[in-house]
Amino acid sequence: MEDGQIIELYWNRDQRAIRETDGKYGKLLHGIAWNLLHSREDAEECVSDTYFRAWEAIPPARPGAFRTWLGRITRNLSLDRWKSRGAEKRGGGAELLLGELEDCLPAPGGGARSVEDGELAELLSAFLWGLSREGRAMFLRRYWYGESVAEVAAALGCGEGKVKSSLFRSRKALREYLEKEGIAV
Amino acid sequence: MRAERLFRALGLVDAALVEEALAVRRQDWKRWAALAACLALVMGLGFGWLASGGFRGYGGMAPGADTGSSGGVMDGDAGIPDGGEDGVAFLSYAGPVLPLDTLENPAELTAERTVTWDFAPGAYPDGERRQWGAEVTDASILHNGTEEDITVTALYPFAGSFAELVLPAVTVNGEAVEPALCAGPYAGGFQSAAGPEGADTLNLAGLSSWREYRALLESGAYREQALGDDPALDSPVTVYEFSDFEAPHGEYQAATQAVSFSIDSERTTVFTYGFNGCEWDGGFRRYSYFVPDGMRRETERKLLVVWGEDIGEYTLQGYQDGGCDRGEEIDGVSCSVTRRETTLDAVLDLACRDFVERYGKDWVTEEGPVTFAMHRGAAAELLAQYGPLSDAPMDRYADGRLDDLIQEALRQERVLYLRFPVTVPAGGSAEVTCAFWKAPSYDFGGSGSGNEGLQGYDLVTKLGSSLAFTRQRATLVNLENVEIAGQNFGFEPDSGITSVELDLEREHYYLEIRPIEE
Repeated sequence: MEDGQIIELYWNRDQRAIRETDGKYGKLLHGIAWNLLHSREDAEECVSDTYFRAWEAIPPARPGAFRTWLGRITRNLSLDRWKSRGAEKRGGGAELLLGELEDCLPAPGGGARSVEDGELAELLSAFLWGLSREGRAMFLRRYWYGESVAEVAAALGCGEGKVKSSLFRSRKALREYLEKEGIAV
Repeated sequence: MRAERLFRALGLVDAALVEEALAVRRQDWKRWAALAACLALVMGLGFGWLASGGFRGYGGMAPGADTGSSGGVMDGDAGIPDGGEDGVAFLSYAGPVLPLDTLENPAELTAERTVTWDFAPGAYPDGERRQWGAEVTDASILHNGTEEDITVTALYPFAGSFAELVLPAVTVNGEAVEPALCAGPYAGGFQSAAGPEGADTLNLAGLSSWREYRALLESGAYREQALGDDPALDSPVTVYEFSDFEAPHGEYQAATQAVSFSIDSERTTVFTYGFNGCEWDGGFRRYSYFVPDGMRRETERKLLVVWGEDIGEYTLQGYQDGGCDRGEEIDGVSCSVTRRETTLDAVLDLACRDFVERYGKDWVTEEGPVTFAMHRGAAAELLAQYGPLSDAPMDRYADGRLDDLIQEALRQERVLYLRFPVTVPAGGSAEVTCAFWKAPSYDFGGSGSGNEGLQGYDLVTKLGSSLAFTRQRATLVNLENVEIAGQNFGFEPDSGITSVELDLEREHYYLEIRPIEE
């Protein structure tokens, strides 16, 4: 079923919307949640909550890129759930991902300005568009979808070393980009 | 936790990026692997030519530079060391402020020019009080000493790209005018992906100095091309369009359709639109796409375009994924194929419209400033100038993937021209001002160049203009938050000298400033 038809089901308050969403995007959303949480139960709950959020948001929302829109909800819910765990139980993929993203953070201070999330996302988009197609695919598979380095390498048909090297360069470049733009994160 | 905020902000990046990340599959790597194999041969053959000076300087240059052809010019002698007569050679060069010109170039007109850089924090387009970039006003007073009014077509050139367009605001005698926008072709060149020693032309090489702008603009051919018609791509082609897709998506998320055939590459050139991968082996070709499943945002328009001798028989085969590996063939992948004869122009038009509809609405609109015709024209120029059928084909476009050309036409650097009429009354004058925010030239943080934090600005006094300038001045205002680190203007802010006369014989002036830390 086309995304537009599924969204119409939400607008019509037709509960088949959930079933259709799960059939079409459930696997992807479970993947994102699993990648961050490494817990089947937690991942399933996050995906269920994603559908609930979608049900609550549509209408009035009419998301354009439905898959990405759902993925964003799952990402955020998964991170919330990861944070709600006690520090000693966190682990999972999120800990590793956030640790790697520390590399991208500009040094605090230095007159850098704070920006709203939307503006920060625009800057990040501009940065990513500047990377090579493969470079940004690796970066987003890792830090948007939460895929492991091995999974990224398998998907793109290259060695893990190449992925690690690309991610390292991209993280470094992002930090430099944010510093150049004078952005505090 | 700052990393968490970054993680959440990444969640909000353009949906097109997020979708694209899933679409880039290993077949794309195969494509480049195949190309690399071809390049190995080219590099071997090219060594003798290199030794004889075929490529000058770092990174090579686009063929055509020696003959003065427009576009793609990289000046191999431009490597002026830091602090030399041209100032710092920045890693990211924003291009000089260029002088006003006229199309008619009447000998009776003279001009006086004043360029002002305003460093007031907050000049940045987002209104934030940032010390980044400057508001530039380039004012020219045109004088007419004759007894007849003179009407000219003024042309104001500026460096930019469609995707990051900062359109100068133009006034004539204080009245705002709405100029037409004309775009020149891609201004940069190409260089090797293998570094300075490589002979391929896989990477773009942007202009990195005013001297490269001089090489691009001084013959006038570039401007002529910018103001001229788009290239006619009226060659007949045969188009195979794929539609009515079916695949066992439930079982295979990346089900792929491949079309294979053999050609005589001397007689046939293949272009594609909407395909994700291709493999070459001698005359053998295999092009493939992920079978549309209604989930991916990728286009469902799949075009295989044959120039020259038709491909004859072809084979369709479904695969588990884009790797198209032996042993991973699957049943249940099908499509309809229609064949028609048309022109390359018509195909490019179709592909550009599809691309803009799907990805380019943020930049290309009916109202402009970047119209569909401009974007399509830029893609046509790129194809005609550097595509597989051109006199100087670049490896970057050798695989004939129209998607790449169309996308890059949005982001590539070019010189754009604002075109508007100006009437200079008999015995009188007319003032033309062009005001715009100008990004600085800079070195990336952490580059280790020693010039991080510097912002570079420069102007040229006569490059690309035939106007008879009798006087030029440069002025700086709002210098409270910046210090001058390098220049050849002669400003002395501490002594109150913030406005200087320029020597008209000197072609280039530069200024480097550093924001003062609060």
